[in-house]
Amino acid sequence: MKSSRRYVAFAVTLAAVITVFIAAAIQWEHYQGRKLRIVYVPKVEDSANDFWISLLEGARMAAEEYDVDLTVLAPASEDDYEGQIRCVEEAIGMNPDAILLSPSSMTEITDAANDVVSAEIKLVLIDSELDENLQSALVSTDNYEAGRKMGDYAKSHLPEDPVIGIVAHVEGSSTAIEREAGFREGLGEYEDCIVETVFCDSDYDKAYRLTKEMIEQHPEINMLAGLNEYSAVGAARAVRDLGLSDTIRMIGFDSSQEEVQLLEAGVFDAIVIQKPFNMGYLGVERTVEILHGELEPTIVDSGSKLITKDNMYVEENQKLLFPFAE
Amino acid sequence: MRRGFHLLARFKSVRGAIVFSFGIIAVLSLVIFLLFSLNYTEQTVISNSRDYTLQLVEQVNGDIDSYITYMENIAQMVIGNKDLTDYLFGKEGYREAGERLQSQFETVMDSRSDILNLAAFADNGRYILNRGEDPVNPYANMEEMEWYQTTMAAGGNQVITPSHVQNIVDKTYSWVVTLSKALRNPETGELEGVFFVDLNYSSINTLCEDIELGNKGYLFIVDRNGKIIYHPKQQLLYSGVKNEEIDQVLATGTGSFLTEGENKQLYSIFKSAKTGWSVVGVSSVAEFMKNRTEIQLTYMLIAAGIIVFSMLLALWLSGEITKPVKDLEKSMKEVQKGNFRPVNASMEGNNEIASLGRSFGIMTEKIGQLMDENVREQRAKRKSELKALQAQINPHFLYNTLDSIIWMAESGKNQEVVKMTSALSKLLRQSIGNEDEIVTIRKEMEYTSNYLAIQKMRYRDQLEYIIDVDEEILDQEIVKLVIQPLVENAIYHGIKYVEGKGMLIILGSMRGGKVVLSIQDNGPGMDQETLKHILEKKEAPAGKAKKSGHVGVYNVHNRIQLYYGKEYGLSYESAPGMGTCVYITIPATEKGGGADEKQP
Repeated sequence: MKSSRRYVAFAVTLAAVITVFIAAAIQWEHYQGRKLRIVYVPKVEDSANDFWISLLEGARMAAEEYDVDLTVLAPASEDDYEGQIRCVEEAIGMNPDAILLSPSSMTEITDAANDVVSAEIKLVLIDSELDENLQSALVSTDNYEAGRKMGDYAKSHLPEDPVIGIVAHVEGSSTAIEREAGFREGLGEYEDCIVETVFCDSDYDKAYRLTKEMIEQHPEINMLAGLNEYSAVGAARAVRDLGLSDTIRMIGFDSSQEEVQLLEAGVFDAIVIQKPFNMGYLGVERTVEILHGELEPTIVDSGSKLITKDNMYVEENQKLLFPFAE
Repeated sequence: MRRGFHLLARFKSVRGAIVFSFGIIAVLSLVIFLLFSLNYTEQTVISNSRDYTLQLVEQVNGDIDSYITYMENIAQMVIGNKDLTDYLFGKEGYREAGERLQSQFETVMDSRSDILNLAAFADNGRYILNRGEDPVNPYANMEEMEWYQTTMAAGGNQVITPSHVQNIVDKTYSWVVTLSKALRNPETGELEGVFFVDLNYSSINTLCEDIELGNKGYLFIVDRNGKIIYHPKQQLLYSGVKNEEIDQVLATGTGSFLTEGENKQLYSIFKSAKTGWSVVGVSSVAEFMKNRTEIQLTYMLIAAGIIVFSMLLALWLSGEITKPVKDLEKSMKEVQKGNFRPVNASMEGNNEIASLGRSFGIMTEKIGQLMDENVREQRAKRKSELKALQAQINPHFLYNTLDSIIWMAESGKNQEVVKMTSALSKLLRQSIGNEDEIVTIRKEMEYTSNYLAIQKMRYRDQLEYIIDVDEEILDQEIVKLVIQPLVENAIYHGIKYVEGKGMLIILGSMRGGKVVLSIQDNGPGMDQETLKHILEKKEAPAGKAKKSGHVGVYNVHNRIQLYYGKEYGLSYESAPGMGTCVYITIPATEKGGGADEKQP
């Protein structure tokens, strides 16, 4: 009878071991099967804004591919940093695995971003940086490199006696600083030909006005660079309206339908475009990889491309310039 | 066979071996079953998904083909209309032709909203575009567009240009699929114009986007040159962030293949004969295997349940199987102890163990009978031996004694004659008279005294003896005829060889609850070899028996042991020149009286 008790003990142990094994398997399965939750706070979600639409489309595609629960909380407009702070706080309240953020201000959003980090939520920045290094990863266009592409093009298409003006967007913003630095680097020894840099605060009308004023002050200007969509389009409108399209060579940045038309019309000689779809996609992809512990904190360049009138209808450029098949 | 034996021999019990074997068999068969069924599930799931996706891509392909057919019909209808060439290349009446053409265009555009543009351009600058209301993009340079170049290069053949941006209408950049054809001026016979239909690309886009291939699955279309017509990750492909298996898709034609690597994907391809486009459905194997993990878990749970159940069953069954063996073992142990009665021969069933049990029962019964028989035989033998011993007052002794009496009578020693005759008479009387096997020590000693009295007279001064038996043991019982034969033995093998006075000392006392009698002589003694074998049974050669005296000693020893058990009997102490002492050890009788109870 004593030995039979031993067998019962043996059977019970075996059953226990198997149960534990299965429980572990289920637990593992559960862990593996749990959807990651990510909240993205862009600068704006506006159906008229190709850049952000494209970026969100990329982010959503990656979310679907990696089976991530992606929520988008967007402020009303691109300069509504208070609205964005509210969005970030709301995102923290949802307690997701990670928050993706495209800060609309380098300085104003920093406190909110700090709250994200202190809530032990991973922070990944997309498109723009903060004045503090809080993020696990930064996915953006290498703006210096994009600026250098503009500079390279300008250098190889210089008119005689070059006089160059720059229309930038926001003074002190990281993108403006890096793009201008890259542009100057690309120009090399012709950097001295830059006579003035103006800041339009991402406003078409201000860019238009400042460009006109700059041309009045420096009528000998024969090359202009716009450092974002507002700056470039505003400046191009001014040049077109002044009838100087043939004398002033223009290089733009970003793309919009108007900017593409201006390129097609020959007002722009070239534009450098970012790859917002890739930015959104890579942003989510890297976040997933970071959450799975596969990546160290990194900076990811989503890439940029210089497009001229001649190659704008080349297969791969069409998709970048005209992202949507509506 | 040997191995099996060794394996099972490791177990302390048959039951353990059975349970272990059961466990091994259960686990092994379950593992094999699991492997087979999981593999089967995987194959089935893949094959089902393959069929499903192939159906899906074929359907998508059919839809696309019907779009193209529709465009072809429009093209045929418009190009077949004489008004077209009349308007584009005619010199007179082209305005009227243009108006008729315009109304045809309007009809077509009204009928289908997915036709974005319908246009014909002539090198001479005449053109017709849609409803005639859309302004032509002033900066558009048609000659530089790829679709235009391929159309003109194709001669008069129709060309389908997959997804591209159409910029012909001012401020409109639409993604379209274009069907175009170069137009020949009937007068010059040269290609001097172009006709095209633009299908809204979003028709195809929506078609593909609507296809559900799981969360990670997607659909894409490539043309026969591997150029992507539709791909949800087109931008990622251009940037090199993602790669697509275009080469393998083109090599496969219609069919399917699985990619290698960590994220296995199933590519299902349908290549259209009409357009040469391949519609490709890509689905993640891991995703449609998701169910598999559930099935796996279910299988594993069932397997665990079966293992537990089979172990319990094994416990119960092994108990049932080994129970008769255990019973048999118990019975055998009893038999080992000498108990032949408790054997449970009434084993149920017809199996080997039951018949073994029955055989064992019959065997022990037989052994029991044999043992009983043996005991009876032994008892009978002892009785006959005793009788033989009683008859052993041998003729030599009698003759010698009578001879001595005659001799003493002749010498006129009347008193001695009387004494000796009286002793002989008592001796004979005792020897004949008592049929009992057991007598008191007192009686045994009387008998010995009579015997010694006769011998003393015969040997005169050569024999002296002392009898000192404690009074308390005189009423103890002893097997009959034990002391006298030993005394006789001591005289004939000891005293007889003594030069001078022979001394015989008979002592008796209680020692440690046992009665111990000793007979000591001062004869020549025995060497160790003789001493060793003195108590062994020996087939005495005829005639030599009395001389060796062994038969007598063994007989006495054996009778005591048979009667009282192995721990009793004779023991000798002797050395050459030191005399011999024999000890008789028997159990003490309780209170002297109950002698009969001891009788077996």
